[in-house]
Amino acid sequence: MDSLETSGLPLIPRRSRPLSRYAGLKPGTTTVLQRWLAGWLRRSWLVLVLLSLWEIAPQAGWIDSTFLPPLSDVLAAGWGLALNGQLYDNVTASLFRMLSGFAIAVVLIIPLGLAIGRYARLGEACNQLIEVLRNTAPLALLPVFILLLGIGEVAKVTMVFYSCAWPLLLNTIAAVKQVDPLLIKSGRTMGATPVQLFTRVILPAASPTIFVGIRLASASAVLVLVASEMVGAKAGLGYMIIYDQYSFLIPQMYFGILAITAIGLLLNYTLEAIEGRATRWKAPQGNV
Amino acid sequence: MSTAKISLRQVRKEFVVRDEGNGPARRFVALDDATLDVRPGEFLTLVGPSGCGKSTLLDLLGGLTMPTSGQILLDGRPVTGPARDRGVVFQQYALFPWRTALQNIAFGLEIARVRASERTEKARHYLELVGLSAFANRYPHELSGGMKQRVAIARSLAYDPDVLLMDEPFAALDAQTRETLQIELLRIWRATAKTIIFITHGIDEAVVLGQRVAIMTARPGRIGRVVDIPEELNSGSDDVRSLPLFGRLRHEIWTLLREDVWETQNQSVAADPVPDRSRKEPVHG
Repeated sequence: MDSLETSGLPLIPRRSRPLSRYAGLKPGTTTVLQRWLAGWLRRSWLVLVLLSLWEIAPQAGWIDSTFLPPLSDVLAAGWGLALNGQLYDNVTASLFRMLSGFAIAVVLIIPLGLAIGRYARLGEACNQLIEVLRNTAPLALLPVFILLLGIGEVAKVTMVFYSCAWPLLLNTIAAVKQVDPLLIKSGRTMGATPVQLFTRVILPAASPTIFVGIRLASASAVLVLVASEMVGAKAGLGYMIIYDQYSFLIPQMYFGILAITAIGLLLNYTLEAIEGRATRWKAPQGNV
Repeated sequence: MSTAKISLRQVRKEFVVRDEGNGPARRFVALDDATLDVRPGEFLTLVGPSGCGKSTLLDLLGGLTMPTSGQILLDGRPVTGPARDRGVVFQQYALFPWRTALQNIAFGLEIARVRASERTEKARHYLELVGLSAFANRYPHELSGGMKQRVAIARSLAYDPDVLLMDEPFAALDAQTRETLQIELLRIWRATAKTIIFITHGIDEAVVLGQRVAIMTARPGRIGRVVDIPEELNSGSDDVRSLPLFGRLRHEIWTLLREDVWETQNQSVAADPVPDRSRKEPVHG
């Protein structure tokens, strides 16, 4: 920052660089589509190599295609599942459980975390309980939830909620505690009331760290959902994976795994986009 | 006395401190018997060695902490807490990173529940006053240090306080930017007729800006001599530093400060090390 001050002009860090430089193309001679493609290739080549390997290895006989069918077979099996409606049923069942557990956690736990972070007394009272509960692995509690809540939707949504709660709670508490005291002091000198301080200073200052918690919670939601669907469920992608394995429908099983990955990626991209919009004010990190 | 804008009457501030390794709590006097009158519209600079209680004094004036004993009067009434009749400018800018320059300046007005249209209009006015109209929609991370401090000054002026309290506002800036902002500040002070209390550890800065320079001594922090600065030195022009008068006053203040530093050093051979600021706790709310 020091170097900027003498110049008198602000230096605006930019994220984007001409992609053509990386693809070895002459600048100015490329179309938008070409540049987009070059950029996409630069970012995705490793994934493409892996997918190709998945196709080639079983075809060439490097690996037993019974246990790892080529990607094309897996996609064909997926197409079959899409046509007979199984895919839709399982995906909607999983999405419903995951999103409702996740949403309930966000709505209930973030305010709780804000309160615990703000009031030292409350934090002191809750601290040990939080430590004990968060170190109790959610999957270890799966049998308990099934005992108490049965094998229906309630048990699974509760599992997802429980696993989302800890990353959300801990990150929200940390977020509130990490707010720069100088900003609070500054707000106070301008006569802000405690409520105004909270809504206009603490909450926005804490939001980036809260978003970290939201992203961690979403990853945890997918993980726990699949595991709980593998135990006592009649629908859902976790159920589909384990059922297909038992029934030796191996391509279908792999397609179930791919579907889980796709849902995880989609959720993450959506949250990233929301986060990007909400924290546009942040200085770009890393490779400026 | 009755015409003073701000009056300090034997102000004392103690903190409870603990020595290394959880020793017994004891009282540390950060500020003792501070007495000072500041006239309306005056530009007063406070200069002193680090650890002399300058920032403690500023927190007291801002109403962020309360004195252990003594009185701080603003227009003859005791200060009971922070309020928009005083604006504070911090060394580290303290801008809200999620707000643009314009939104930062409007913050105090928002707190005061000023209508949105009026808010924007006023914020634009003060942005113009500090010469940053072209940067209204920039976020703090897109501004240089000097620009951030201009925004911070505009933010404190925007809700029209009578008094501007400035805590080493230019200390983090490079020499060139600092001098530019000193000239700017004198211009703004003349244009707005605010009472300014400006804390610094730079003697040059104190002489160039202040109509009077109050010299603080350390351990315990006290306000010592107050030196009058002739008006010609506050002109804001570049060559005041080359005037013989400037050199004489600078030397005088430097001598006063040095005497104190010597005394402090001799004392500190026997006394405990200066306690860590972060472990200070106020004695009274």
